[in-house]
Amino acid sequence: MTDLIHVNEMNFTYPDGTEVLFDINLTVAEGEFMALIGQNGSGKTTLSKCLNGLFQPTNGSVMIGELDTRDKGIIKKLVTQVGYVFQNPDHQLFNNNVKAEIAYGPRNIDLPSDEVEARVREAAKVAGVAEDLFDTHPFFLPKGLRQRVAIASILALKPRTIIVDEPTTGQDMVQSREVMNFLRSLRDEEGHSIIIITHEMPIVAQYTERTVALGQGQILLDGPTREVFSQPEILKQTYVEPPQITRLGQALVDQGLPGDALTVEEMQNFLNGRA
Amino acid sequence: MTTTTTTAEMTGAPARRQKTLLGYVPNVSPFYNFHPVTRLILFLTLGVVPLFIYIPEVNMFLIILNLILLKWGRVDLSRLRIYLPVIVTVAIFMGTVVVLAPGEDPSFTPIDLGWVTIYYQPVFFTFAAYWRLIAMLFGTILYFSINRERDILVGLRSLRLPFIASYVIGLSIRAAGMFMEDFRIIREAELARGLDTSAMKFRDQVKLYMMYLIPLFSISLRRADEISNALFARGYNISGKVAGGGERLDYIRSLYPMTRTDWIAIILLVTIFVIIGIAQMGFGVFAITNSPLEQFMRQWLNIPPA
Amino acid sequence: MSITIENLEWKYEHTTEFALRGINLEIPENSFLGVVGPNEQGKTTLVSAISGLIPHSFNGIYRGSVKVFGEEVKDAEAVHLASQVGLVFSDPESQFTAMTVEEELVFGMENLGYDYAKIKERLEWAADITMISSLLDKSPYDISGGQKQRVAIACVLAMNPRIIILDEPTSMIDPLGKQFIFDILRNLKEAGRHTLIVVEHNIEQLAPLADQLLLMHEGEIAKLAPPDEFFEDTDFLLERGLYVPEVTVFGHWLRKTGKLPPAQKLPRSLDDAVSLTRTALQAKGGTA
Repeated sequence: MTDLIHVNEMNFTYPDGTEVLFDINLTVAEGEFMALIGQNGSGKTTLSKCLNGLFQPTNGSVMIGELDTRDKGIIKKLVTQVGYVFQNPDHQLFNNNVKAEIAYGPRNIDLPSDEVEARVREAAKVAGVAEDLFDTHPFFLPKGLRQRVAIASILALKPRTIIVDEPTTGQDMVQSREVMNFLRSLRDEEGHSIIIITHEMPIVAQYTERTVALGQGQILLDGPTREVFSQPEILKQTYVEPPQITRLGQALVDQGLPGDALTVEEMQNFLNGRA
Repeated sequence: MTTTTTTAEMTGAPARRQKTLLGYVPNVSPFYNFHPVTRLILFLTLGVVPLFIYIPEVNMFLIILNLILLKWGRVDLSRLRIYLPVIVTVAIFMGTVVVLAPGEDPSFTPIDLGWVTIYYQPVFFTFAAYWRLIAMLFGTILYFSINRERDILVGLRSLRLPFIASYVIGLSIRAAGMFMEDFRIIREAELARGLDTSAMKFRDQVKLYMMYLIPLFSISLRRADEISNALFARGYNISGKVAGGGERLDYIRSLYPMTRTDWIAIILLVTIFVIIGIAQMGFGVFAITNSPLEQFMRQWLNIPPA
Repeated sequence: MSITIENLEWKYEHTTEFALRGINLEIPENSFLGVVGPNEQGKTTLVSAISGLIPHSFNGIYRGSVKVFGEEVKDAEAVHLASQVGLVFSDPESQFTAMTVEEELVFGMENLGYDYAKIKERLEWAADITMISSLLDKSPYDISGGQKQRVAIACVLAMNPRIIILDEPTSMIDPLGKQFIFDILRNLKEAGRHTLIVVEHNIEQLAPLADQLLLMHEGEIAKLAPPDEFFEDTDFLLERGLYVPEVTVFGHWLRKTGKLPPAQKLPRSLDDAVSLTRTALQAKGGTA
């Protein structure tokens, strides 16, 4: 498995002097499904924007494939490697119709128009955006569809890694499941690496394989989600609590329950196995 | 949309200065001992009085006075650096215009510089006008460096600005702040889609700025809905009427006491303003011909008095 | 009863379906009602009808009656409603329209015609309860989303309505901020002087606080019951797209598989679940 993104001893300080990230080392491999968690102010949004080259490190380096994000003039190449879906689709939709929106990225990187056309159709299909919506103005679509269009417009660039900022915030259970199942299919069927930034721990527990927890600008934990959630004291430093069922197990370790159950099913299976 | 914590929360350090829409104001300043309306009248004096003054030396003096006041007011002078481009650009612009298009008048005295001929009167007039502008600019900078948005609004209300006007101005300022934040995120979103502004033709860059309007509009339209619901929940109606039919109280303004110092300062400032106004409009005391520099230039270039 | 709703039906202008189809509901004074359910099922519409936003701010077809302390909402004046029913929305940014926190707090009270002494007193009290006393002088750029939301709650408290409605107050707030807000709700509930109606997706934090839970489904009340009863039929709830707290689902299973007696009340908080599970495991161990 090759590395898609490699962060090497990176520090990040904003122009006004605020130091946000310290000594970050991180590698993203192909086909990963990971979560970036941590309190607001921990630096996770800043880190995610360093991962797609939007921000450049103050010290250290971020390599995206062979590209160094500190180099100038490589935006067009970077966006074909790492896609970034912002939290609020309204910030990303600035064309008059859905088709132009999805075509925006490929056109920016100067692809020939038949290639653009093909990519638009493909991305729309994968993202579940029906072609009869192509002439609609994105403003009039319901929120779920606007999110899909935003995702489609990123997919059209065919990035290997996709970072999604808060995919499920403000959504109900059914909508959240839909989005997360879709993101998982992007990894399973299309081979993208997916990084989600989120505060919703049950979602992290149910869908991600790896979790990186940031606190006060440093990486507190980085490993399989199960291992990360079995360290509640460290997570507390960044005001994160494991899912309820995990905490249940942790409170009853003296009764033999596992301290790292990620879902209710797991807990049930464990007890069934024990009985 | 989860909002992000701010700098102060992140680093835990107390801020030396407070952020406003237009920049920063110091945390402590002797100016804060004065009522906002006094500071507003100071602005009207220092920022508006240059309109009466055609003598460049006097305007230069006003600029220096503004700088002294800024320093006394504990304003961070290094922030003034951001105004340098404006100051220089305006100088170049005005200079170029007066050299290339001085206007025609037989009384103008030509001066041959070899590669171009300039005319003394328009050039000096432009020179004086430039310093007037810069004096007004510094008066404005001083005002916005020692007043937060709240102080500006309280000052205006003290001069009897109706509450609804004050509220609309406040809302516009707040909206502008939200706009700027949204604008920043939209730029990032575009970069994330491969938009390379450095590689774009100027015409495309202009088109780009038009395109920003679309998401800004959608976001504001959605926000407008939410804001109007919030206003409903706070019992506000468009007529500004108050429940119970009484007069609307102004609690915030009541927090700022008017001291004797304020009254003295206001009387002084208004008097100075009026005196200068009368001196110029009635007696031409600040006319350009009274400028020592002007007189010197005429002597030096052998130009007869106007 | 603080709120009485009879046969309420509502259709928004420019839509084809009725958003509320025949709601009958009585909410006792000083109780805590949690309104839950997937999006677009009528939760926001319902609470808007109680606060008077519907029909005062929206056009549409209104049938039936909503009475707040005996007064008909559709006939009351907007300003009067604001003094009776407080509303907190989900977006902290849009609710902050003034230049500093203090101005924001004072705005509603000035609209209600309070005098200076009362404004000062209510301001200090509300800021204290929502833990924002140290933020009074700050501008919106200097405070976080969670803090802005507490300001919104303080604004409502300062106007002293007897009913407070919060529509997804924590959906746009980070976890630490969420905690603050639920703490405030807990304190308000314990003080017992307000009728509280909270629409939330975060059932795990809501269930321990609620006296009753209401599930909205396609514009109708699908279930209204105290939390103990509410979670009984977990399958019914899951079918209607509701997120049931993990510990409650687990407790349900413990009961179903005989590890807990069938009459056992389902846990609605983590602590409940821990003690119940401990009992279940020890009992099993005892009989093994």
